[in-house]
Amino acid sequence: MLYDKIKQLYPSLTDNDFITVIRLQNDSDGKGDYIAKWEHPTLPRPTDEELA
Amino acid sequence: MASIITATNSNGLTHVADNSGVLQLASGTGNLVTVPSVTGTAMVSGNMPAFSAYRGSGGQQSITSQVWTKVQLNTENFDTANCFDSTTNYRFTPNVAGYYQMNGSLYFTGTSTVRGIVSLYKNGAELTFGNYMGSFNSTQGVAVVSTLVYMNGSTDYLELYGYVQATSPTFVDNPALSMSGYLARTA
Repeated sequence: MLYDKIKQLYPSLTDNDFITVIRLQNDSDGKGDYIAKWEHPTLPRPTDEELA
Repeated sequence: MASIITATNSNGLTHVADNSGVLQLASGTGNLVTVPSVTGTAMVSGNMPAFSAYRGSGGQQSITSQVWTKVQLNTENFDTANCFDSTTNYRFTPNVAGYYQMNGSLYFTGTSTVRGIVSLYKNGAELTFGNYMGSFNSTQGVAVVSTLVYMNGSTDYLELYGYVQATSPTFVDNPALSMSGYLARTA
């Protein structure tokens, strides 16, 4: 799952990070989960390769 | 005072006129509608969109923990202007510009539930969110949201999203998993 992959990359992320500065989203259109927002002040947005 | 057009019980349509710039419509023995002299559109109940939808079929909607997920509201209690899509996009696209009072309710379940949050999205982006049902170890909860929002009457749309942090979370097929709204005031 997307959440688990991101947590593996950045174990320091907290639950609150996924509410405040990171938004994972699913539009119920069959396309699955994706990163809708990444505004973390220090950690860069993961690349598609890192999430593959 | 007012120019009055009356549909009577005996003399057909009658009218009296003055120079007030105010028009009143009357039926029978005196039910009155006053049309203001200021500019604007007079709305009546028949053309003011109102809807209420919930998830009433298809079973519970399985979701992923900690992922904002659009709620599939597939059953309508009512939809006066056919503005709610309950089959494909699960969104409200009102056809009259104005200010809409909106309500959302998220009924969720899961084991070891940490929190649930409900949010209204406008045009694909979060508009506002409701209360956090958080910091308890339970199996279900209901979060609610309410707001007044301007809609342009053509392209603007609203959707309901939910966020649940739990093991095996779901949205529950129940009238408490719902969105409703109505036109409060025209533009």
